Amino acid sequence: MLIQSPLNPLQKKLGAKFIEFAGFEMPIQYSSIKDEHLTVRRKVGLFDVSHMSNVWITGNDAEKLISLTTVEDASRIKDCMSQYTAILKEDGTVIDDTIFMHLGNKYMIIPNAGMAETVTKWLNKKAEEHNICATAENVSKDYVILAIQGPKSRDTLQKLTEINLKTVGFFGCQYIELAGVNCIISHTGYTGELGYELQITPTNLAEELFQKILDAGKEYGIKPIGLGARDTLRLEKGFILAGNEFKGGRTPLEAIMSWTINWDHNFIGKEALLKQKEKGDYERLTSLICIDKGIPRPNCEIKKDGKKVGTITSGTLSPCLNVGIAMGYVHPDFREKDSILEIQIRDKLVKANVVKPPIVPKDWAIQN
Amino acid sequence: MGDEVRSNLKYTDSHEWIKVDDKIAKVGITDHAQSELTDIVFVELPEIGKEIKKGEELCVVESVKSVSEIYAPVSGKIANINKKLEDAPETINESPYDEGWLVEIEVKNESELKSLLDADAYKKMI
Repeated sequence: MLIQSPLNPLQKKLGAKFIEFAGFEMPIQYSSIKDEHLTVRRKVGLFDVSHMSNVWITGNDAEKLISLTTVEDASRIKDCMSQYTAILKEDGTVIDDTIFMHLGNKYMIIPNAGMAETVTKWLNKKAEEHNICATAENVSKDYVILAIQGPKSRDTLQKLTEINLKTVGFFGCQYIELAGVNCIISHTGYTGELGYELQITPTNLAEELFQKILDAGKEYGIKPIGLGARDTLRLEKGFILAGNEFKGGRTPLEAIMSWTINWDHNFIGKEALLKQKEKGDYERLTSLICIDKGIPRPNCEIKKDGKKVGTITSGTLSPCLNVGIAMGYVHPDFREKDSILEIQIRDKLVKANVVKPPIVPKDWAIQN
Repeated sequence: MGDEVRSNLKYTDSHEWIKVDDKIAKVGITDHAQSELTDIVFVELPEIGKEIKKGEELCVVESVKSVSEIYAPVSGKIANINKKLEDAPETINESPYDEGWLVEIEVKNESELKSLLDADAYKKMI
C-alpha cells in the first residue's frame, strides 16, 4: 500500500501528476518539470516533502548518541542550529544522510524517504550497545514537511509571521508561528536557492498552511512544485540523492562528503574511513556536463578512450543549461577538472566535461 | 489540451499514430502521449535506410525525467526522418500530428495495417 501525504487531496485539486517514490505516492509535477524548475530558480516554489522522515532523539545523552552515530561532533552544533551529516555502518558505508536540528534539550533528525525505521532501530541499538541514555522515536506519521525555495521564499513567508526571518541564519532552526500554525522552521533546502523547510504537526494543520503560503506568494509568482523538479534542482547543484548516490554501499569519502566529517571525535565507521583515506584508490563522485547531445541516466557507463572508468548514478537534462548533466563514480585517475570523458548512452558515446559542482552557479538567475 | 484524436489516422496501443500515403507511412506519437510525457527534451532518430520490423524499437523520446521507446507500427525501411526534432524536440509537444512527426517508413507488408486501431478504438483506450 502506498502512503499518501495528508496534502494529497489538495495536490489532486492543484493538478498534480503522481509517482511512487520509496513507498509514497507523491506529486512528480504540476505544470511541467522545466517550468517548475525555473520558477524555483527565478521566483519561489512550494514543495510537499512529507515522504522524508522525522525522528526525535531525546534523553540526557542525546548529543552523545548523535556524535557517536554520525560524522559530526554534535557538541559543536549550538541550540537552534542544524547540520547536514551522515550515519555510517562500521565499514564506513553510508546508511543515510540526514539533517539534524538542535532544538533545546532534544534533536530532530530528518532521514530520507523510507529510512525512518532503519535509522531509528540503528540509533536505539547503538544507544544500548554503548550504554548511552538516549532514545530515538520515529514520528514521521505525525509530521508534514514543506519546503519553500527560491529567491522570493523569504518575502513570501515573512508575510505570515511576526518573527524577522533575517534573524534565522543559514542552517538556523527554531519554533515559529506561521499564519497561526506552530511549526519548526529551518533555513535549509535541497535546491541551492534561498529557502526554508517547515515541520508541521499535527498534520491536519498543513493543508490550510499550504494554501496560505500559496496565497502569500502569489504576488511573486509562486507555484507548487513536484519531486521531478526537486531532483533536477538538486542535481544542478551537485547535491546527493541517497537512493541513487549511496546505492550499493558508498562511503562519505567516495561521495565527496569529506567536508562533513569531523575527524576530531570518535564515530562509528571512522576506522574504516581512515583506512580508505590512506589507501586512496577509491572511486569518487564526479560531476559531468555533456558536450554532445544526449541525456545521461543512472547505470550508464563512463568511459575514457573506450575503457570503462566509472558509472552514472544520476543524470538529467539541465533545465537551466539545456544540456545533459550527470553525477557518477569515477576512478581517481580520470576525474581531473576539465578532462573529457565519454558516457555510453544506448549505442552512442556522448562526450562530457568533468566539472566542479555546483554545475549551475549561484547567480544563474541573475545572469540569465 | 492533451487528448486530440484525429479520425484520419490509425493508432497503436503504445500511443503511436500512423498515416499511410502511397506505401509511405508517416509515424509520430499521439497528443495523449506527448501530454503524458510533457517537456520532450531529446529525440534519438534511426538512420535513413535502416530496415525495421513491426513492434521493434523505432526511436527514443526523452522528457526531463523519463526515457520512452517508440515502437514501429509497421515493418519496412526508414525512408525519411524529421531532422528538425534534433534541434527542436519540443515540436512534438507543440504539434504532435503535424510538425512533430518522427519518421517515414516504406511499408513492406500492407496486411500489417489491418491490426492497427482506428480513431474510435484508440479514443476508447485512452
